[in-house]
Amino acid sequence: MENNRSNVKNALLHGDLYTRLSAVVMGLGMIGHKQVIKGCMVLLCQLAFIFFMFDSGIHALLMMPSLGTRAQEKVWNEAKQIYEYIAGDNSQQILLAGVVTCFVIAAIIVLWIIQMRFSYKLQKELEEKGHVPTFKEDIRNLFDKNLHITLMTLPCLGILIFNIVPLVYMISMAFTTYSKEDEHLMLFDWCGLRQFSRVLNMKGNIGRQFWHVLGWTIVWAIFATFLNYILGMILAMVINRRDTKGKAFWRFCFILSIAVPQFVTLMIMNIMLQPSGAVNILLQNLGLISSPLPFWQNATWARITIIVINIWIGIPYTMLQITGILQNIPAELYEAAKMDGAGPVKIFFKITLPYMLFVTTPYLISSFVGNINNFGVIYLLSGGGPTYVGDTAGQTDLLVTWLYKLTIDQQYYNLGAVIGIMTFVILTIVTLITYRNSGSYKNEEAFM
Amino acid sequence: MNNELEKNKLSPRRRLVNFLVHLMLAVLAIIWVLPIFWIVLTSFRAEPGAYTSTFLPKGYTFNNYIKLFTDRNVLNFPKMFLNTLIIAIFCCIFSTFFVLSVSYSLSRMRFGFRKPYMNIAMILGLFPGFMAMVAQYFILKALGLTEGSAIRIGLIIVYSACTGLGFQIAKGFFDTIPRSIDEAAIIDGATQWQVFTRITMPLSKPIVIYTVMTSFIAPWVDFVFAKVICRANADQFTVAIGLWNMLQKEYIYQWYTCFAAGAVVISIPIAILFIYMQRFYVEGMAGAVKG
Amino acid sequence: MATISLQHIQKIYPNAAVQERRKKRGDDPNKKRNNLKVTEEGVVAVDDFNLEIADKEFIVFVGPSGCGKSTTLRMVAGLEDITRGDLYIDGVRMNDVEPKDRDIAMVFQNYALYPHMTVRQNLEFPLTLRKVPKEQMDKQVDEAADILGITEYLNRKPKALSGGQRQRVAIGRAIVREPKVLLMDEPLSNLDAKLRNQMRAEIIKLRQRIDSTFIYVTHDQTEAMTLGDRIVIMKDGEIQQIGTPQEVFNKPLNTFVAGFIGMPQMNFYDGRLVKEGDKYVIEVLGARIVPTADKQKRLKERNTPEMDITVGARPEHISLKEVDGAMIEGVVDVSEMMGSSVHIHLNAGGRDSIIIVPTIDLKDDEYPTIGSKVRFTFAPNVVHMFDKETGENLEYK
Repeated sequence: MENNRSNVKNALLHGDLYTRLSAVVMGLGMIGHKQVIKGCMVLLCQLAFIFFMFDSGIHALLMMPSLGTRAQEKVWNEAKQIYEYIAGDNSQQILLAGVVTCFVIAAIIVLWIIQMRFSYKLQKELEEKGHVPTFKEDIRNLFDKNLHITLMTLPCLGILIFNIVPLVYMISMAFTTYSKEDEHLMLFDWCGLRQFSRVLNMKGNIGRQFWHVLGWTIVWAIFATFLNYILGMILAMVINRRDTKGKAFWRFCFILSIAVPQFVTLMIMNIMLQPSGAVNILLQNLGLISSPLPFWQNATWARITIIVINIWIGIPYTMLQITGILQNIPAELYEAAKMDGAGPVKIFFKITLPYMLFVTTPYLISSFVGNINNFGVIYLLSGGGPTYVGDTAGQTDLLVTWLYKLTIDQQYYNLGAVIGIMTFVILTIVTLITYRNSGSYKNEEAFM
Repeated sequence: MNNELEKNKLSPRRRLVNFLVHLMLAVLAIIWVLPIFWIVLTSFRAEPGAYTSTFLPKGYTFNNYIKLFTDRNVLNFPKMFLNTLIIAIFCCIFSTFFVLSVSYSLSRMRFGFRKPYMNIAMILGLFPGFMAMVAQYFILKALGLTEGSAIRIGLIIVYSACTGLGFQIAKGFFDTIPRSIDEAAIIDGATQWQVFTRITMPLSKPIVIYTVMTSFIAPWVDFVFAKVICRANADQFTVAIGLWNMLQKEYIYQWYTCFAAGAVVISIPIAILFIYMQRFYVEGMAGAVKG
Repeated sequence: MATISLQHIQKIYPNAAVQERRKKRGDDPNKKRNNLKVTEEGVVAVDDFNLEIADKEFIVFVGPSGCGKSTTLRMVAGLEDITRGDLYIDGVRMNDVEPKDRDIAMVFQNYALYPHMTVRQNLEFPLTLRKVPKEQMDKQVDEAADILGITEYLNRKPKALSGGQRQRVAIGRAIVREPKVLLMDEPLSNLDAKLRNQMRAEIIKLRQRIDSTFIYVTHDQTEAMTLGDRIVIMKDGEIQQIGTPQEVFNKPLNTFVAGFIGMPQMNFYDGRLVKEGDKYVIEVLGARIVPTADKQKRLKERNTPEMDITVGARPEHISLKEVDGAMIEGVVDVSEMMGSSVHIHLNAGGRDSIIIVPTIDLKDDEYPTIGSKVRFTFAPNVVHMFDKETGENLEYK
């Protein structure tokens, strides 16, 4: 029984010569067990890996601990009578090469494990049935029972190269001095957790800003999520009322506003709310105010404006999503409540809201996450401002927009990376807690 | 019966409530539609500048649209339009393939990597998008895709490479197709590939259209990635960066009304697509909530 | 055209997670769950299934839901892997053969028609995948459509058809390529009662026109009795009895089969089997019933000792004729006049029983009324005796 499991241990202990040899020469197990083409392909991978390692991989790994030492130098060229620049080490490229090399090594290890198990499986199959799939059959299987391999390989590669590798690369930056501060843009060093302590330290300048931004981010996410949720639900219910005429028309009016690309509406809103923008002019013409309202100039005004505009953007979305679910609430629940003499407000809080909360917890979580990472609204509306002198973060900056400013505008890459990691940690905690306590999660448990 | 009676003979109080509800809806609808109405008006405004002393334009003209599509000297909007169109077409092809492939595999096939994949996708979704973006720029740079017209390839890659993570809506749709139809096809002699192409795809037309449209729209409305990757390469700008630039200090006086025109031009097709797609969006969300 | 042989077939759904959790909670990991056996490997859905099916035979798997009948069928089809055991079709081992290469066809409960294709395209689909030439394909499709009487709908989409018509198309799609084996998974259970009777008759006719071997899964014992050459009765993943309709009706191997087959259900009473000299006598509710000679012989052959038994008697095998010392008294709860017979629900010895009395046997003044007393006895040639402990039939142990 135990020997039948195709794992690496069994392959090494009970494998035949070919299987065991493939621990050193990858693919040999397949070549020896009548799968020559596949085996050769694996072998080619190994050769390519060895070539890569000797060509650049080993160098990249060796450079990783120091991240480069030679600074760019200016040398006087006697012959030409000019200064010549000698390129120094570029730490950022070294780090990238190192991270990529680590991934290549991980990939070859995975390939090694797979081919060991596979060799053993082939050996067993050959012993028991005397037949293993030919290359042609393998290709055919790739379009039949192994179709998922065909379909998923490219998307997975895409995610690996353009999401996972960049993330790991970015995370590793958090532990370096890669920053415009102290001119560490070309040459930087590992510095352990120093950036983390800087960010978390409430007394330092960066730390103070971090806690400030974090506080506003959470306040914003809570307001943005729950106000939109409840107001959107009320709007959906009002439109769905039996006595409301022209339901489709009202819905259309609200949907129209989200049909226009968000960045366009946001930029328009920004302009409209400037001191000499349309809103202030309209209000002044009507004689309601004498001087323009400081929508973006005052921190409190800006924050409230942003939340209100986000409601303007978000409500139609919530309405769309909730309309469908509302119609699914069992009618008996309402009838029972009406019999018991509950009024509309009581029905909303005792029946509609709890039911909706129960059904839409996953949606609430994802919209909370979306709001914490809501770049567009802040960046386009207030640009994070107003910003106090000496700060990198404005009064309405979220962690994400601050992250953007730190990396793209200020080039404080290490701090940006730390902020990104902190955002991830906070989101993970929030998600886990709400998910664990949500009805859907417990239900799934009950279902199992 | 009871309801019928009530409807025919509304009590005065009920009538008042109904009136107030409709009044409220009307006010809200005006608030929601007004900015859109205003931008359309602005796009036809004759006098330039972002800030005017009147709410309604004094004169109307069609010149903003003409300028937008003919002025190639300052902000080359036609070129941006072409750039975005090319990117959108390729992005649409790749993303659609990626999204549908991943969704189908996760919905219909059973393999060891299935659950881990879904968990990994969830975890990756918790990282702020920019974190990967900054590093993506460095990777594209290392691959030489950040200069000249290679930027287009870079943008296509950035827009489509990670779309395999956005499988939820399409998977939710595939999950609703009865499994026995697949099984019938398999017994009838179809391979999985044939089930995918000849049974599932024709049955999923709405979600295929939805995926094609969303991936086609993405490059038109994104300005963050595009800005980071294009940097100062003005001839590679996409429409979104162009519109964004029109509102910067140096251009805003001359270009504000053109911005409005540009916004209207790209909003109309997107709005039509969106209104057509909202049904699938709602269904997809309902599915995602259920599962 | 095809013989099928299932040898020691076993299906286990590995459920490591369930096991782990149970161990954590301190439950017995081998405890039966939903009455299915749970072993180290997982939940045993089908256990040690052995069956030899002859060429062109019509086999029916019947049993309550969750008994493993559909799982077995799907293993024959190749839609489920076989955990252990061997499946042979025409002597060829099929365990690792793809469904499409097994030369089988299947009809699903919910029809599983391709909604985006017309009826004709639905019927053509299996043939196009096998690259059958156009002319032959047309011929085969027309033939199948003719057999099932769906020729006039050929250009419609399934959406435009009624349930019965859809099921015909589904059957048509299965027979169009003349498979060796035709599998049917509860094909009639989505139809209403009248259509079901009609389609049942059509399946009997269909059977005579095509040469396939049939395996038919149902939970409806009427379908099983009327359609099957042989019936396989299953419960909790295990075969209870295999036999012709007459066999399973007349010689049920255990109380489960006895109770499952027959409408209304067989009546069961606690009783005792005693020996009087060389004769076996059943004592039940104060009555003494002496089984007939062939029953005595079978009991004697098996050396049956005196023991507590469950006495089983079908409602239609209970008589009201006076037999000395063998009468049981019951109080009538309900009496239903069904036309040809009267179903009397009564309470005897604390147990609910049903007896069926042909109308012809009852005089006008004898119709039982609620609360009246009725005396009845079991026909000694068809009374069944089951081991009280194991439920096994003492005559056919």
